[in-house]
Amino acid sequence: MTFTSTRRTLLTAAAAAAPVAALSACGGGSDSARNADGKIELTMAGWSIDSTPEFSVLKEGFEATNTDVVVVIKEYSADDYETQLTTDLSANSAPDLFPVKNLQPYHYLMSNGALADVSSLAESLAGDGNINLEHLTIDGSTYALPYRQDSWVIYYNKELFDAAGVSYPDGTWTWDDYQEAAQQLTDGLAGTDTPAKGTYHHIWKSVVQGFALAQSEGAQIDSGDLGFLAPYYDRALAIQEAGLTETFSTAQSQSLAYQAQFGTQKAAMTLMGSWYIATLLAQRESGDADVFEWGLAPAPQLDASTSENPVTFGDPTSLAINASLSGEKLEAAEAFLQYVVSEECSSALAEIGITPSYFSDAVVDTIFGLEGMPEDDVSRAAFQNNDTRPENPVGEFTNDIQTILEDTHSEILTGTTPVADALTAVEAQLENEGLIA
Amino acid sequence: MTAPSASAGTQLQADRPGPTPRRRRSAIRRRQTISGWTFILPNFLGFGLLTLGPVLALFYIAFTKWTAFGSPQFTGLENFQRLMGDSTFWTALLNTLYYAGVHIPVTLVLSLGLAMLLNQKLRGRAFFRSAAFFPYFTSIVAVAQVWNMLFAPEFGPVNQFLRFIGLDNPPDWVASSTWAMPAVIVVSIWRETGYYMLLFLAGLQAIPPELHEAAKMDGANWFQRLWNVTIPSLRPTTFFVTVMLTIGSFKVLDLILVMTNGGPGTSTLVLSQYIYRMGFERNDFGYASAVSLVLFGLCMVVTITQFVYNRRKER
Amino acid sequence: MTDLDLRTSSTPATSPTGTTPLRAKPLRPLEKGLHALRYLMLAIISVVVLLPFAWMVLSSLKRNNEVFTAPITWFPQEWQWHNYLDIWTQADMSTWLMNTIILSVAVTTLQVVTGSFAAYGFSRIRFPGRDILFLVYIGTIAVPWQAYMIPQFKMLSSVGLSDTRLSIILLQAFGAFGVFLMKQFYDTIPEELSESARIDGVSEFGIYWRIMLPLSVPSIAALAIITFTNTWNDYMGPLIYLRSPDLWTIQLGLKTFIGQYNADYSAIMTGSVLSVLPIAIVFVVGQKYFVQGIATSGLKG
Repeated sequence: MTFTSTRRTLLTAAAAAAPVAALSACGGGSDSARNADGKIELTMAGWSIDSTPEFSVLKEGFEATNTDVVVVIKEYSADDYETQLTTDLSANSAPDLFPVKNLQPYHYLMSNGALADVSSLAESLAGDGNINLEHLTIDGSTYALPYRQDSWVIYYNKELFDAAGVSYPDGTWTWDDYQEAAQQLTDGLAGTDTPAKGTYHHIWKSVVQGFALAQSEGAQIDSGDLGFLAPYYDRALAIQEAGLTETFSTAQSQSLAYQAQFGTQKAAMTLMGSWYIATLLAQRESGDADVFEWGLAPAPQLDASTSENPVTFGDPTSLAINASLSGEKLEAAEAFLQYVVSEECSSALAEIGITPSYFSDAVVDTIFGLEGMPEDDVSRAAFQNNDTRPENPVGEFTNDIQTILEDTHSEILTGTTPVADALTAVEAQLENEGLIA
Repeated sequence: MTAPSASAGTQLQADRPGPTPRRRRSAIRRRQTISGWTFILPNFLGFGLLTLGPVLALFYIAFTKWTAFGSPQFTGLENFQRLMGDSTFWTALLNTLYYAGVHIPVTLVLSLGLAMLLNQKLRGRAFFRSAAFFPYFTSIVAVAQVWNMLFAPEFGPVNQFLRFIGLDNPPDWVASSTWAMPAVIVVSIWRETGYYMLLFLAGLQAIPPELHEAAKMDGANWFQRLWNVTIPSLRPTTFFVTVMLTIGSFKVLDLILVMTNGGPGTSTLVLSQYIYRMGFERNDFGYASAVSLVLFGLCMVVTITQFVYNRRKER
Repeated sequence: MTDLDLRTSSTPATSPTGTTPLRAKPLRPLEKGLHALRYLMLAIISVVVLLPFAWMVLSSLKRNNEVFTAPITWFPQEWQWHNYLDIWTQADMSTWLMNTIILSVAVTTLQVVTGSFAAYGFSRIRFPGRDILFLVYIGTIAVPWQAYMIPQFKMLSSVGLSDTRLSIILLQAFGAFGVFLMKQFYDTIPEELSESARIDGVSEFGIYWRIMLPLSVPSIAALAIITFTNTWNDYMGPLIYLRSPDLWTIQLGLKTFIGQYNADYSAIMTGSVLSVLPIAIVFVVGQKYFVQGIATSGLKG
């Protein structure tokens, strides 16, 4: 008997609960923006929250001054963020705010109407020399605002340079100087207690193609002419064939991590984006990386003409507003974006070692005040003064072309196809697929 | 009524042309249809709604342009015309056929052999069976890492062995566009043999030992028993394994992603990866669906051929 | 009619003595040699097979930056035993483990029950359209999931099922795989068994329940092991459907160790080792049912 009555109670309770659940499900929709506490609730996508503190920094900083808004971070996978986001957007279940990791998917999201137009916010920053929104502009409009702007530099190990008797980079290195130093380091360190390679080139295509696109005069990714890649590939091949770095094949098949190669002194230099600063500092702390004197130097240049303001590359990491927002929620989301590009937010980000998009002298001071940072002028200048060009210039075909160029990269660096042949083949493919602007 | 002979297969008396009056036959047929569907329905409800529905949607999307936003735009055969001139697609198709062409027969033979070996009474059988299944659930990253080490061009044990037996220039394996695919195939055979062994093992249990005993009494040797008892009795299982192995090979993705990521160049790019790339990387879901239809068609040609062949053998 | 009668009547008349032990007479020297060779072969295979697993275990005890090196290193410089504590305290391993268990058990149970039930309909009952429907089932296996996962996700989220455990259970439990496997296995069982039962007036359900199920223990074990393993290791399904951290499975949870530019490989390996253990247990238990005799016990009175 007890069984029956319990069961009946449960059923009644379930029946009573059902409409309530349905109602509260409606309440979560975009019509009513306020949650139970009367606050506006914004959802924001983020990835690997535990190891990526920046999302909490953004959230907490914003909530501190906007007390009637709550930002709820939805955790995505860093690896498969785009896949998850595309699925969400397709099913209209995407968060109110979401990061655009780099510029590669930006045009796709914009042209499909997924991103709210934030041109008015961008205009208010137009005169500010500390932030550059040019790379996010499509036909005069802006659809996302950057919260971080990384750029590529040389990281080098001063102790290994000393051990090999090679002088530190002076801030005016060309690619010839860089290659020569890598050679001297490799030779000088061979047979010592620390037999490191001169440098480490990670397997990403950015390491070659990013520099080539940024530094070559008149190079355009969608012009149909990829000849500008040739000298950079020739050099990359020369460096790995001379044994100055682990080869692409080894790095790829052994899943080498650049953090391990540089951080545990297996390479005296590496070319990497400024995001590695925070990682290196954290790994020195945790013991994953050795503790050694290190420094930053500007990216190697094509020739001496650009040594005043060295040309390098890096995409902004931006935040976009879900185009389906309206009313109070949209206003709150816009306020959030405004916070993200503020000087206040930039110093909060700098404190955790992140290179913010709003790049003032105070930011440089904060970052170089962190425990474990180098103190020399060249390092500081390398971080502060550079001409950072986008890796993925916004355009209709950029994403398609970059996807195809992934294959070209492995084809050339494994020595499968000579540089010129591989480039001719990919040019023909781009033409065939109609990917030339 | 006498019991039908063993070769009757799944055929029922009522289905055969015979003296039964037509009306009774149709009544039986109706009753059987109802009882057949009663068994299938609980599964079919979930299957039809959750799998078949979306699959049919894909069949439509293959004839459209769709970026995952809004409604697909019908474009007729445009995606398929584009396939014709898409050299990367043809490369992926050929690579897939290469992979499947080697992987299917070798895995089939090895897994059957291993199943027969581990179906015998021998000490430590449970351990060997578990060991054989281990690669299937060992982290694929670890698998790729260790095999890439075994295949390392300079100091890898594989190449050291090859040099030892007199090959002066052993291949670069995953770093070479010629040898990357063979390396991938070796690892995938290694990884999946235990899995298909498990299925064969289950099938072997179903063969009544009496059949073997009888054949033994008739003086049949081991090979004759294999040929005349084991293989025919195992036919339904073999059909299952072959179809799953075929589909699995045509759809191969995970291992290639971690071992070579399709490279060097496009030398190990397979259809599944191309589908993912065209869909989630290049956001052309219509085209990705069209490639999926090609993959589906390939699998079905092989499956239906086997199905019909199997039917004929059963009768 | 009793079960006993039924079984006796269907026993093939070929078995004079029942099962004889496989190896009744003493071994000759040649056979002894072959025997040793067989063990040697199995031992070599086992080593090659377990090598990656060994690497996985050793890597789980390394520092993060030691995991991937060129050339490969096997042993840690300092053994990081605390990795096995950290994953429970600093990461949410217990939640992930619980979720993975719930999903794997639920999916396996449903797959075995509905799959074996439907398979009986496909194997033993003849009705119009059966073969076509069966080919449709197989056909869906041949369609790559990544190509139709968006339509499927849209459908399930339109009825509010995204971000629920139920979504994964529904998606995986009714797949064609179990139906196909069980149907093929039923086809192996001699038709006389069900036929004579039918003549004796046993209902179709009775034949399924009292004859076919007991006979198909090895294939149920195979289906259960495989479904369990696949659900346990599934990554893409949970990735798309399970967004709340309290619903995450192990495979999804391990991905939180990978950031945009960084990854904690030793933590991933630690998690992978822990993740493999339950499957190994399920396998070792399950493989006990691969014993000749269970399948045929029904054939003898």
